[in-house]
Amino acid sequence: MAIALAVFGLGCLVVLAFAVGRFPVSPGDFAKVIWDWLSGGTSEVPATVQTVILNVRGPRILAAIVVGAALAGAGAAYQSLFRNPLVSPDILGVSSGAALGAVLGIFFSLDVVFIQGLAFIGGLAAVATAYFIASRMRGHDPILVLVLAGVVIGALLGAGVALIKYLADPYNQLPAITYWLLGSLAAATRADFLSVLPAAAIGIAVLWLLRWRISVLALGDDEAASVGVETGRIRVAVIAAATLMTAAVVSISGIIGWVGLLIPHFARLMVGPDFTRLFPVTALLGAAFMLSVDTVARTAGRIELPLGVLTAVIGTPLFLWLLATARRSWQ
Amino acid sequence: MLAPDLAWARARTVTDSVGRRVPLPARVERVYAAGPPASILLFALAPERLIGWTSPFRPAERPFVPERYAELPTLGRLTGRGNTANVEVVIGAKPDLIFDYGTVSPTLASLADRVQEQTGIPYLLIDGAFDRIPEAFRLLGDIVGAGEQALAWSNYSARTLDEIRARVARVPEGRRPRVYYGRGPNGLQTGLAGSINMETLERVGAVNVAAELGRGGLVQVSIEQVLNWSPDVIVTTDPNFFASVWRDPSWQSLPAVRERRVHLAPGLPFGWIDFPPSINRLIGLHWLGRILHPQVFTEPLRPIVRDFYARAYHQSPSDAQLGALLAQEKPPGS
Amino acid sequence: MKLEARNLGYGYRGHVVGRGANLGLSAGEVVCILGPNGGGKTTLFRTLLGLIPPIEGQVLIEGMDLHASPRATIARLVGYVPQAHLGYFPFSVQDVVLMGRTAHLSPFAVPSRRDRELAAAAIERVGLAHLVDAVYTRISGGERQLALIARALAQATPLLVMDEPTASLDFGNQVHVLETVAKLAGEGIGVLISTHDPDQTFQCADRVVLVHRGSVTDIGPPEEGLDATRLRELYGIEVQISTVEVAGRPRRVCIPAAVGKQSAIFSRE
Repeated sequence: MAIALAVFGLGCLVVLAFAVGRFPVSPGDFAKVIWDWLSGGTSEVPATVQTVILNVRGPRILAAIVVGAALAGAGAAYQSLFRNPLVSPDILGVSSGAALGAVLGIFFSLDVVFIQGLAFIGGLAAVATAYFIASRMRGHDPILVLVLAGVVIGALLGAGVALIKYLADPYNQLPAITYWLLGSLAAATRADFLSVLPAAAIGIAVLWLLRWRISVLALGDDEAASVGVETGRIRVAVIAAATLMTAAVVSISGIIGWVGLLIPHFARLMVGPDFTRLFPVTALLGAAFMLSVDTVARTAGRIELPLGVLTAVIGTPLFLWLLATARRSWQ
Repeated sequence: MLAPDLAWARARTVTDSVGRRVPLPARVERVYAAGPPASILLFALAPERLIGWTSPFRPAERPFVPERYAELPTLGRLTGRGNTANVEVVIGAKPDLIFDYGTVSPTLASLADRVQEQTGIPYLLIDGAFDRIPEAFRLLGDIVGAGEQALAWSNYSARTLDEIRARVARVPEGRRPRVYYGRGPNGLQTGLAGSINMETLERVGAVNVAAELGRGGLVQVSIEQVLNWSPDVIVTTDPNFFASVWRDPSWQSLPAVRERRVHLAPGLPFGWIDFPPSINRLIGLHWLGRILHPQVFTEPLRPIVRDFYARAYHQSPSDAQLGALLAQEKPPGS
Repeated sequence: MKLEARNLGYGYRGHVVGRGANLGLSAGEVVCILGPNGGGKTTLFRTLLGLIPPIEGQVLIEGMDLHASPRATIARLVGYVPQAHLGYFPFSVQDVVLMGRTAHLSPFAVPSRRDRELAAAAIERVGLAHLVDAVYTRISGGERQLALIARALAQATPLLVMDEPTASLDFGNQVHVLETVAKLAGEGIGVLISTHDPDQTFQCADRVVLVHRGSVTDIGPPEEGLDATRLRELYGIEVQISTVEVAGRPRRVCIPAAVGKQSAIFSRE
């Protein structure tokens, strides 16, 4: 079944990701470190090698998996919610809000923890504002006003980011801002991973529990309501869960586009639009994709390549190929 | 087309660092420095000519310069690196000339021409190459009519550069420490070989671990890469990164961190080793020399710092200030 | 089981579409809402289903205020068959019909094997068993309509509300749908169906409700209440209502009087 295949594929990618990197690690050392870690023994392998495997690559791989799963899962949920396969998790402004938060943190020379915290809060606040604005507009299609409010908030916050870039010190802050906005997991630590795990887990859990209702929502508000779905409440829950997941992972990875838009398409071409099948496959595919891209980012060039650029460069040709060869259509 | 009210006598013509022949008035009293490096150069040479800064002083920086200079108005930048200055405000400040100091290129030359044409104010470019600091002082001194100070500065800076060069030459190649320069809040930005960010470090005989990645500018690397390099010394300019490096288990596994050979470069009122890329970095050479080659840089640092600050910022730091400046580099608990 | 509208005023905020509607639907009967397009039939339906709030008056289901009841409760009592539309995603017919079972699922549950069996039975009942795995967006309009009826059947409600279920269907499929409606009523389900075609009321309705210019009138069985005068008021055209014998039984039909071919056979008279 597709899910078993996806899990197996992900497992292989994890092993591969552990095995490659700038720091030379022999397969023997690698096996020893993992074995010692699993069995709780002390290792004769040099401390630096242990650090590389357990403290550097390990957290980075786990972070990539969570980031990919969260972004892709949120994208799939939004595409069902908005009944539009061209929707990404950014549609309600979460990325712009997180960007503004992080950029402000960098501008005020705050510690990384605060930069991440501001990014998280910024993402949540942006969506909350968009939702609040939309809920005040009565007498219009609720989906349409939500999207418009999100676009407006996103544009406003984007202008804020641009302003900060303009005012920032070009020697010191501006490069830091630019790197953050391009997306990277180069600095992912164990603490980072543990800090995003609760929010991402809650978001994923909520979407998983509501998977059938989310599927039914794709019928349209009237029909979904007529078969017993509380459309307003489900919508709020989905938006809250997706925003929580997205804001959390963006706060540690920076802005990474395309994953939330493209991966659900791949998954839909594989297993169809039923969210109960789509969600787990999307999450696994997203995790695998992000892990692959991050592994490329840290090994392919002399320097770290930004994730936001790589996801677009790798993702789009892949998607075009898939569209050309797929049997099912997406519409 | 020159503005009608700028009809002073064209007393002479000066050739700037890119070969532009710029006519200048007989007396130059008000000068607008178009970028931070230019401001620092002019402030050091002839502070009374400076009409304003490109950005305001932060509270921590102010105590290091005399108040009458710290109070000068903020006019914004008018350089190739993105302008924040309102051209009308600049004209309204009535400078006799505008100049910029830094990397020179045809783009910047054409920008200078454009500003000059638009405002009618002469705009000169001075080459900011590290090794040509003495020349830069002489040229600026000639332009603004501060020949005496220019000579003093030219001698001082030439002596400094020569002395550093000579001392570094005494350290054999094999004994030069491998240095990682970490910038940014997570310490993972660094400069490739030949980048402007590494100029100070390269002149003090540090071996840039990132040089193996080639020549270029600023790049981002991963912690794994730094672990692979295993530098002897880590230098940074970011206080947040400096504080966090002692807590982070990944960085902790580096010998440089365990041996506490991580140093935070002082940065008040201006950075000592990287930005802004101007003459403020001269003192950084002395500081780095003592960190990297204590065996050849044996004199105490404090008198040198006092002397430099008095010359460059026109105010000798108090003992407390000096202590604070130099204490920053010590890891917590030592 | 009874669905009632009492003195119902319906419409959208700031725009009243109709008032003073009194109608009822009981198990086992077919009630036809007849009226010209644009007369507010769909708005009335959405109000009867609880999708939009009433402006005045009440909608009651088994005596309970419909608008105050939770969605899940309403969904177990009233099923909705909208006009067949294209759909946003390529669900299979089976997926679409299965969604009707949501009414009987707890909030976090997914359909069980029994739900799938009931859905399959509903598909069979409307005659779509050969299309169970077909993609909903790729089948014909008539087949889509039948799929939506199957979904409502899978929902297993005692009452059904169908909004113009024969619109955009070909002649054969229209008849097939009406036959299904009659069959369902025969099995004890109450069906509220809207149409703009008077003939359909003669074919299947137990009672007719006229919706026209904001007023809602229950005129009882069509054979008694629907005459040429009423239809002239409704549509502004002249009709003739005749009784013909079909398969040995009398049936009323409605024929437009003004339009007709001047054929050689008749003109010789």
